[in-house]
Parts: sequence; C-alpha cells; structure tokens
Amino acid sequence: MKAGPVARANRWMRQRLNVTIGVIPLWLVGMFVTVAWIAPFVWTISTSLKPASQIMTADIEWLPREVTFDSYVKVFEFHPILRWLLNSVIVAGTTTTLCVLFSMMAGYAFTRLHFPGRDVFFAITLGSIMIPAQIALIPLYMAFLKLGFMNSYPSMIAPGVVSVVSVYIFRQFFMSLPGELEDAAFIDGLGRMGVFWRIAVPLARAPLVASAILAFTGNWNGYLWPLLMAFEEKMKTLAVGIAVFAPGYGGHSQLESFGPSMAAVTILSMPMLIAYLFLQRYFVEGMTSGSIKG
Amino acid sequence: MFEKNLSRREFLRKAAVTGAGLALAGCAPKVVKETVVVEKEVEKTVEKVVTATPAMIEPTEVLHWNWLSASDAEVWQSVIDDFNDANENTQIRMELVPDAEWATKVMPAVAAGVGPDFGWAAPAAGLEPDFVDKGILVPLDDLAHDVGLDMDDFAEGPLNVCRYAAFDNKLYGIPLDVMTMALEINADHAQEAGLDIENPPQTGEELLEWADAMTVREGDKVVRSGMLMGPSIQNTVVWGIVSGQMGYKRVSDDLKTACVNPEAGKEAMQWIYDLYEKHKVSTLEVTDRYKAFGVGQGSMFITGPWTVSGYLEAGVNYISIHVPKIGKEQKTYLEVGSLGLYTQPDTSRYATTMQAVKWLSDNSFKWTTEGRGAAARKSVLSRADYQTSGLPWAQRGAFVDEKALEMATIPIGYGLTEGGFDFIIYAGENYLAQTLDSVWYGEKSIDEAMDLICQKYQEHLDAAA
Amino acid sequence: MTSMVKQRWTVSGVRNRLRRMTWRGQRIDWSGYILVAPFLTLFVLFNAIALLFGLYLSCNEWEVVGRPEWVGLANFREILADDLAREAFLNTFRYVLVIAPGVTIVAFVLALFVHQQWPGHIVSRAAFFSPVVCAPTAVGLIWVWMLDTQFGLINQYLGRLGIPPVPWLTSPDWSWLGVSLMSVWWDTGFSFVLFLAALQDVPAELREAAQVDGATRWQVVWNIILPLLRPVTSMVITLQVIATLRIFSQISVMTQGGPAGSSMSAIMYLYSYGLSRYRFGYASAVAVLLLLATLLITLVNRWLVKEKV
Repeated sequence: MKAGPVARANRWMRQRLNVTIGVIPLWLVGMFVTVAWIAPFVWTISTSLKPASQIMTADIEWLPREVTFDSYVKVFEFHPILRWLLNSVIVAGTTTTLCVLFSMMAGYAFTRLHFPGRDVFFAITLGSIMIPAQIALIPLYMAFLKLGFMNSYPSMIAPGVVSVVSVYIFRQFFMSLPGELEDAAFIDGLGRMGVFWRIAVPLARAPLVASAILAFTGNWNGYLWPLLMAFEEKMKTLAVGIAVFAPGYGGHSQLESFGPSMAAVTILSMPMLIAYLFLQRYFVEGMTSGSIKG
Repeated sequence: MFEKNLSRREFLRKAAVTGAGLALAGCAPKVVKETVVVEKEVEKTVEKVVTATPAMIEPTEVLHWNWLSASDAEVWQSVIDDFNDANENTQIRMELVPDAEWATKVMPAVAAGVGPDFGWAAPAAGLEPDFVDKGILVPLDDLAHDVGLDMDDFAEGPLNVCRYAAFDNKLYGIPLDVMTMALEINADHAQEAGLDIENPPQTGEELLEWADAMTVREGDKVVRSGMLMGPSIQNTVVWGIVSGQMGYKRVSDDLKTACVNPEAGKEAMQWIYDLYEKHKVSTLEVTDRYKAFGVGQGSMFITGPWTVSGYLEAGVNYISIHVPKIGKEQKTYLEVGSLGLYTQPDTSRYATTMQAVKWLSDNSFKWTTEGRGAAARKSVLSRADYQTSGLPWAQRGAFVDEKALEMATIPIGYGLTEGGFDFIIYAGENYLAQTLDSVWYGEKSIDEAMDLICQKYQEHLDAAA
Repeated sequence: MTSMVKQRWTVSGVRNRLRRMTWRGQRIDWSGYILVAPFLTLFVLFNAIALLFGLYLSCNEWEVVGRPEWVGLANFREILADDLAREAFLNTFRYVLVIAPGVTIVAFVLALFVHQQWPGHIVSRAAFFSPVVCAPTAVGLIWVWMLDTQFGLINQYLGRLGIPPVPWLTSPDWSWLGVSLMSVWWDTGFSFVLFLAALQDVPAELREAAQVDGATRWQVVWNIILPLLRPVTSMVITLQVIATLRIFSQISVMTQGGPAGSSMSAIMYLYSYGLSRYRFGYASAVAVLLLLATLLITLVNRWLVKEKV
C-alpha cells in the first residue's frame, strides 16, 4: 500500500536529514528566535542609513526608505575615527595577548607545579573575583595621575591584563588534562618549563581561545578606564570616542545626533562582528578540542 | 611526538608582538603642557612671512574641557576655531569628556595638577559647591576686573547665579548662555483641533483647554497627550516651574529655611496630578519624551532650547511660546551655562586663560544664535541681527528673547554644600524626583510627599550651616 | 672538612640544595614562581592593593581633595539606614534570581538548538553570540527604544498578539523586568558558546544508543545530556551570578535606577550616591557590603551544589 504524503515526507526527511517531521515546528521557533535575536542590530544599522527626517517615526521601519550615508559622514567629519580605531586595536590586542599569556602561565603553575604559598595565592586570587571593580577605580586613577602615568597606551593596557576569570578557566582546563604526556616528557629530561611550553601549551588551544574571546570583547568595549586615561582626543579608544554622539538620554537630549550615534555604534561593533563571523568556526571548534568541562 | 609545535617559536612571536606593542606605546605622546600645535604654527609662519609682521612668539596653549555633545560640540568647536584664528599668541585646545563622567574625571585631574585651564560648569552654573569648597575653581572677581571684562554688560540674574552665597558671594563663573524653558506647540495638531495658532494659550485655563482639545483618547486612556509629560525628569521640572509660579520656593533667600510656602508646592503637585487623573490630557506611559513630541505623540511640550534644531531637522511643524501664567506669576526655569577656571599649579596661567574667556564672552553671538541658549550679555542681546541670525525665531524666540530672560527666575538648583543634588528640579533620580514620582503613581499622598521633601531639605540646610 | 663547607656555597651547591628542597613531601618547583610572577605582580599592584585601600576607605570619609578622615562604621550605618540603599541591594538579589537562571536556561536551549545542526544553524550560531560584542551604552540605547512603552518594538509585537502594552521602563513594577530582559539578551552569548562546546563533547554513540533503545528526544536530553553537562552548568551559573551581582552599565544607560528607585542596583547606587557625589568613603562602604553579600551567596551556592569549584 502506498504511504500517505505525510509519511512519505517523513521518510524522506529521516533518510536525507536524519530528522523527523515533528522537528519542523521546533525549527521554525528556533529560526524565529534567531531573527528576533539580531533584530536590534538590524534596526541599528538601518537607522544609521536613514536620513535625519526619517529617524524618528511612530512605527518601526525596518528598512530605510532611502539610504544615505550622511550620518557616517558626520561621524567621520569632526573626529579622528580611524585613529580611535587604531588605538582600540592596539590597546585591546596587547591587553588580550598579555592577559592570555600571563593567565595561562599562572593557571598552569597553580595546577601542576608545587611550591609554597600556591594554594594561598590561588585562594586570594579566586576570592578577588567577587570584588567590584569600582572600589579601586578612583584611587587607582589618582595614583596614575600623580605618577604622570596617563594618556599613554601602557596606562590603558596595564590594569586590563589581570583577569582572574581567565586564570580560573586555564586552571580548570589543566586540572582536567591527564598528566601522562607531561610526566613522560619530564622523565625524558625536559625541564618543567620545557614541559609547559612544549607540551601543555599546545594542548591548551581551547581555553586559550575562550579567554582570548573574553579578554578581547571586554577590552574592545571597555569604557570607563580608557576614558579616564585619555587626556587627548587622539588617545581615546573607539568606545570612548563615540560617546560624544550619545544623545544624552534623559538630560539635554539632542535628537539630531541620533543618526550619527547609531552610525558610531555600528562602526564600533563592526570589527568584532566581522571577526566573529569569519572566525566562529574556530571559536566553537577551538573550545571543544580539549574541552572546558569545568 | 608533540602535536603542534607551539613552542619557542610561538612564544617568541608572541613576545615580539608584545614588544612591538610596548615599543609603540612608549612612543605615544605624553601630556605635557607644551606649546604649539604644529599645523597652526606652520600656517602662522607662512602668514607672518607674507604680511611681514614682527617676530613670532611661541603661543601659549590653553587647555579647555567640556561635556558638550552632538551639534552643540560642533558649534562650540567652531567658536574655539574662531578664537584660534583671531589670536596668535594663545591657542585653545578643546577636549570632550562625556557628561556622565565629567565629575569623576575632572576633580581628581585638577587635584593632581593635570586638569584643564577652563571648562564649562557642570551640570550648570552655580551648581558646583564641591568644586568651590575643595579649591578646584578659581574665584573670578579680580581676574575679570584685571582683564577688563565689562561686568555691567551682563544681565544681573545670570551673573548672580554664578555667585555662591555660601562662599561670600564670590563669582566662580562667567555666564555664557542662559537657558530657559518654553512651551513648544505642534502647529499641525492645533490646526486639526480648530485652534488658532496665532493666539496661543496665555493662562493656565487656556492651556488646559488647548490640551483637552488636542488630546486623543481611546476610551479612558490617553493615546496622544495634549500636554506631553514624561518620565520622572519631565514631571519634576514642570512641577518646579508651576510651583515657582504659584509662589513656592525650595529655599529661602538666606539659605536657612527650606520650603517657603509649601501650600503652593502642594497646589502645584495637585495641578500636575490632575493632568493625569482629572483632565486626562497626559499619560505616564511615555518613555522617551523627546521622541514622543518628535513623532507627534504629544501636542505641547515644555522643554529647553536644546531641542530647537533637532525638531527642525526632523521636520516637526511647531512654534514656541513662553510658558503660560499657570500660577500667580509668569515665571520659568533658569539654567545658566558658564565658563569657570580651574586651579593650576602654575598660577601665572590664569591671566592668559581669563583673556581667552573674555574673548569668548565678548564674541558669544555665534554661540547664542547657532548653538543654544540666550545671550548673557546685553550688548549681544540687543544686536539687530540677534533675531534674524541662526535658528529661526519662530521656534527659538520664546527661549531667548528679553521677556524670557525676565521670566526666568526659577533656578535649576542651589549652590549648597550639602545635598545640593536633591534641590535640582531638572533631574530624574534625586530625592525630589523619586518622592514626586510616588505621588504620580499614587503611592504617596501629596501632603506626605511635601512633608518628606521639606524635611529632607531642612536636613540638608542644617547640615550645611 | 673545609672543602665540604666551601662546596655548600658555590653556585652548583646552592642549586643542588634548591633542587632538593621539599614542601609537603614533594619537591618544590621553583619554576612555579616564575610562571606565576607576571600575573601575581600585576594582580597585587592593581587588585590586591586596590582592595586593601578600598577596605580602608570604607571606614573613612574621603572626598578626593585632602586626606581621608576616619569615621569608623558610620558609612555602614548610613547605608543600612537608607531605604534606597536597601532597595538597591534587594533589587540586585532579585536580578540575580531572575537573570542567572534565565541566562543559563536560555543559553542551554539555544545551544541545544544550534547543536542539532539543522539548516541555518550557522546563522543561528552567529546570531546568538553577537550581542556579546556590543558595547553596553550601545545596547542600552537600542533597548531603551525597543522597550519604549508607546513605540517600542516589543510592545508593538505584543500588541499584535492582543496583549496591552507593558510599561517596561516607565513603571516601578516592570522596570526591573525590562532591565532583566535586556541583560539576558546581552549576557547569553558567552554561556551559549560554552554550552555549545560542551555539547559537542557528548559522545554521539551515547545518544544513538539511547535512541535505539527507544528514548525520545526529551528523555535523551534529560537523562544523558544534562548530567554530562553538570560541570559546565555549574561554572556558567557561578560566573553569571557573580557578574549579575555587579550589574551596572545597562541600568545606568536605560533607567538610572528609576522610576522611583525600582531598578536600582547596588553598583548603580554606589555610582550615583557615592562616586558622583565625591563620597569615596561611602562608595567603598557600599562595595564592601556587596563583597560580603557575594561571599555569602557563593558559600551558600557551594553548600547547595556541593561541587568542587
């Protein structure tokens, strides 16, 4: 007896896609959520391309009626956007590199190596996750000012290099890593440092990627510290620089800056979004090989 | 044997990157109170050679910070550029600091000796008692006199706002612009409702009539507010204006007693409450009041001159009129933008900085016609082209004409050393706003709220004494 | 005799002694100090000293200019007496109770969805992580308009479903929920990726074996996947709880703690009433209280979960 159309569809789906037809509603919901999830971005980019007279509308207009780059021109006109972009890249890049490096070294040391004070240090480090950053902000700022240590890349980079969460991530990883490879290499005569650099580190691709993402995203959007450290327009990072476009919500709001502020926000998010789109493969795969099981 | 040789090579590569980063960083310029911006010097050199003027002296650089944003920042930058073009010996370098972080950044910087030479008062003139108390701001009476700034040319009201009664009435700011609040009316809505835009409301009753005519309701709910009120901050500032008109004062003139004539304050609260409950011409469901007026979800809006160019650009057809006489006297909100000098380790800088400030004040025409606010200088106000230059008078006039300046006697706040923040009427998150909020939302009664406010105010005043 | 004494103090002699030193029965790895040094130096400089100074400041009044003056526990007493402070702390706990589980569940569900590798899963994978790259001010701005009671996207769509507009940010009853919604959207991305990675570690054989045995999709999830993911889940929850206790930037941009203090958080309170008014002693006291609360919550968490952190 010939099967009905639904059954036939079902069989086709099971054979080709390895799923049953009952999956379709779930898939639809999932796709809907996906689209809804990026709705704010779509709206931002769309607004940045609208002419000023169409930005404030009662109903949401997803697509601009006419595309114009006026807002972007305004953003680039009076401000050194490209220099800000460069600053962000330098600051976030250096901070991330150093942070990942130091955290990896510390995480390994706390797990594999044996030395007095190890557990005490680690407990203190872990405990400090709970401290709100604001406690230290102003005193640190004033200390930097008194030392004349501001308005330079190192001053923006230095405090950001400390990341307790990264150390935690590396420690968890190394704890779950079986020690045989390292022991074998050790017995073969490679010193502790050699074991670390040649064996442990290559295996640590996963937590490396994870903490790099963490550090970079945090730093790229970092606002308060670079703001306090920048004493010249051209030393600002991008996140700080574009604050000048914020319409100043609640106070002396300036509506004509809405388009430019959306354009500025798009410029700020674009590098990271594009980088993520191209590298997302590595992000996810990178986190699985070796795994962060916790 | 090893999976990937992420070894010495990788480490060296990383070290190289780091090293390069640090090296680059080391080359970044440090802040030094240096002279000359290179391009300007080259231009000037060329100019000088051509016009054969006397030998070039190195110009002093005056550092200026402000918290302006968007088009305000652009107009002000062009004023600074004008200054730099007109003055060879002094150049102003302007840096923008976002207003939310202004307090956090400036005080420590000045305290550490690396602060700016002058800046805009924040949030407005007369509201920086902490700065005065801690010696961050420089008293200006003598300095102004020394550079020959014509103090009589200033309108008295704004000049007094820049004085601090708590500190011997010394002057700590030079008023640059005066911001008042006026009523913006959507002309299209008025026309639809059959109202005559040439005869706008002059009294409280007329205002309510207009509001009622222009409100669109669905059943019992207000869908388009005749009188656009907004979240906390809007309600608070309108209350501030209405209560001032009815005779209430937050603080007595001698700064000793709080809440003069609380009955008037309660009357004002009732008036606002009635907008929502009795007349139903307003709704509390407004999150973004600026946008609401901009897209036509509100017909009348009491606000300040910073909205003028934005709404024009958005194509809203509106006019501005003075705030109607809702209470006993027709008064409105006063906020003064002023420039103040910050303490420097090298006090000889003050003279040059004061010269710069004097120039900016004398030449405040551009700022007060294309930027925001009314001129604080009578000579600028009375210029023939004051009305015709800059933004259109029909929208800008009610904020900046002479009548507006006379009406503007309700100060945004007071320069008190204790709890000054709670006295500000243009704020959404201080004690005043939060207590008033509970009235609009029906959580507290008007009497209760007034008592709490007066109590808090008296506490602050007593603590300051 | 003398030759042996001399030998002790040579370089090789010292090195030998170092190599043989033990601690708790095992040889000491001196390289440990080298590896830990960069991190620890910076940590001590920026975190530890700052923490100690902050603790010290909390018992002082300091207003940037001049010296701190000792006031003992006065700051703490003032905070505990202030209604608004109390509301701020309670709100913060409420945020934790709503956002931490919210983010965990949403991240898990989304990861599960993407893990199925149905058509379009690459788009989904990018979409769900993307909010992470957005700056707080940007996100706050966008969401203020999205949650607008009159014009907001959310209310417009709710309206099409027949639901009356919700006063997300204008009502004291709903403002915290508006902020929470935005936080879930924003914070989920990172946990999502962690879950996704962990899911890919679940051996396919286990799942197939279960399906052959007749288990439904849901049973597979419940009985096999969840238990295997327990360590990741625990880490995600812990990190999210700690992060949420410090919620600040979104509130600062969206509501400034209003209306009527209903969306205020501890750090927002610290900022508005401490830092912005130059009362650094007071601000530090707030931070110390928050720290104590965090400690307490973490201990309770560990006791409940009984998992080695």
